[in-house]
Amino acid sequence: MSPAGCPHVNGFKVDNWRQNLRVIYQCFVWSGSVETRKRKAKSCICHLCGAHLNRLHSCLNCVFFGCFAKKHIHEHAKNKRHNLVSNWSLIRYRRGDRVVNSIDLLYGGIYCFLCQDYIYDKDMEQIAKEEQRKAWKLQGVGEKYSTWEPTKREMELLRHNPKRRKITSNCTIGLRGLINLGNTCFMNCIVQALTHTPLLRDFFLSDRHKCEMQSNSCLVCEMSQLFQEFYSGHRSPHIPFRLLHLVWTHARHLAGYEQQDAHEFLIAALDVLHRHCKGDDNGKKSNNPNNCNCIIDQIFTGGLQSDVTCQVCHGVSTTIDPFWDISLDLPGSSTPFWPLSPGGDGSTLNGESHLTGATTLTDCLRRFTRPEHLGSGAKIKCSGCHSYQESTKQLTMKKLPIVACFHLKRFEHSAKLRRKITTYVSFPLELDMTPFMASSKESRMNGQYQQSIDVFNNDNKYSLFAVVNHQGTLESGHYTTFIRQHKDQWFKCDDAIITKASIKDVLDSEGYLLFYHKQFLEYE
Amino acid sequence: MSKDSQMRAAINQKLIEMGERERLKELLRAKLVECGWKDQMKGHCKDVIREKGLEHVTVEDLEAEITPKGRALVPDSVKKELLQRIRAFLAQHSTL
Repeated sequence: MSPAGCPHVNGFKVDNWRQNLRVIYQCFVWSGSVETRKRKAKSCICHLCGAHLNRLHSCLNCVFFGCFAKKHIHEHAKNKRHNLVSNWSLIRYRRGDRVVNSIDLLYGGIYCFLCQDYIYDKDMEQIAKEEQRKAWKLQGVGEKYSTWEPTKREMELLRHNPKRRKITSNCTIGLRGLINLGNTCFMNCIVQALTHTPLLRDFFLSDRHKCEMQSNSCLVCEMSQLFQEFYSGHRSPHIPFRLLHLVWTHARHLAGYEQQDAHEFLIAALDVLHRHCKGDDNGKKSNNPNNCNCIIDQIFTGGLQSDVTCQVCHGVSTTIDPFWDISLDLPGSSTPFWPLSPGGDGSTLNGESHLTGATTLTDCLRRFTRPEHLGSGAKIKCSGCHSYQESTKQLTMKKLPIVACFHLKRFEHSAKLRRKITTYVSFPLELDMTPFMASSKESRMNGQYQQSIDVFNNDNKYSLFAVVNHQGTLESGHYTTFIRQHKDQWFKCDDAIITKASIKDVLDSEGYLLFYHKQFLEYE
Repeated sequence: MSKDSQMRAAINQKLIEMGERERLKELLRAKLVECGWKDQMKGHCKDVIREKGLEHVTVEDLEAEITPKGRALVPDSVKKELLQRIRAFLAQHSTL
């Protein structure tokens, strides 16, 4: 059984053999469409004994089906000399050729009578795979799992790079400290969160970025480099000077050695990455320039629905805006935080502690999505009433991103004061966004008040994977990040120092930027 | 062909035509992986190959060695479920 195919198959590989082989696969092996299935059902029986079991094989040179187990096809191979004219116009006969190959109708394997074994011919395997995929598609089965088969080039690479790394549950690969280059902890903390975003990591480690920028200033390329550094296995801290330089080049407002806001850095970084990702949307030209298909958009972009309801005619005007993060007001800020009764929908759902009366993340989200009465000083022109009327405005989530980033607005920069709000906000490990969805709001409005929690709907469930914290005051402070490695292990990243952390440490921390990842991903 | 095998052929035809055969195949495949049968068989195959030697073993050898084992090791629950499915299918398409 040699993997290099067999010499006898060359007798078959003449003229239009590819097309003929495809027809055999389409009609008798992988029958996708209704007609081919009907034909297969009727004709796939042994020409000698009429049975359909017994490992039916089809002769490759003529229309003959025979049992393998009962040796009927073997008889055919020995006896027939091929002066049969096939009534099947697609298959030509070759005078004087012996039938040496046959195809297994259950699995599509090619059997050579001279070699007395199944043979594996690269070209024929290729055709077989394609036909199988086509049939699956026709049947609506879609893409099935198939094991990875390395190409020649990949085999070469594997041979030249013999070092292998095994990922165990307690290995620290992917964790690396970052040197602080002078108040750059605002950048370091975000880099830690991004390098531990699973989908982003997968994108970069599988080399999916095709750079179209001429100069050396592509931030996406630098990100790719960064992932290589993080997963290199080196334990010494990395010095991100190139990244810092690129950030200064592309986001001038963040340049300089002063302390900057980590949230601003996150948005600026996502923006530059999104702009530099131009070539990566797999050639699919998006019709809407605001809605590109780059990896940043795929992971981080959600849709925020804003409904403005006219108080007079109750007409609703809806707009949907893209967002990368949700900025939440906190109690104690100058914008009033309306006290909400505990135990309302949402908080029991997410199991946060209401024991000490602490504000929870879901409280903040409820406040964010509550209907807000726009006062008489802010009348909106209503297209139904054709005049300016008072209205209410409500925000809900139309489309959730795969990674949801919540920004707790701790830094107050109003005209009078600049201060940091240090109110503790309790946030959960697992978050269900269902109550805040536009669809939930619609069903509530349609009178379905008891939104029974659909335990089988997993679309809106999220898991915490990174928390950025700020210690100190507005003038002088320090950023650190908790990130999640493997399922339940957390680490604290404090510039160059990485230490193990407990889940309690994470949940007790103040929280400034909270990164949640969708629990269940689906194909589009 | 006996009445029995005629009936079998007719059922088989119907199954193929309606695409049910493919679906049953997929179901069976999933069940056999779940219960560990596939891994057991893989192990047996490796044993046979080791015995006969990689260069000399043929599909015939493997087939002869593992078919009886394979048939015997299919769990009853899997057989039951497949049978149920086929019965349900036949009940639906009772023109047979």
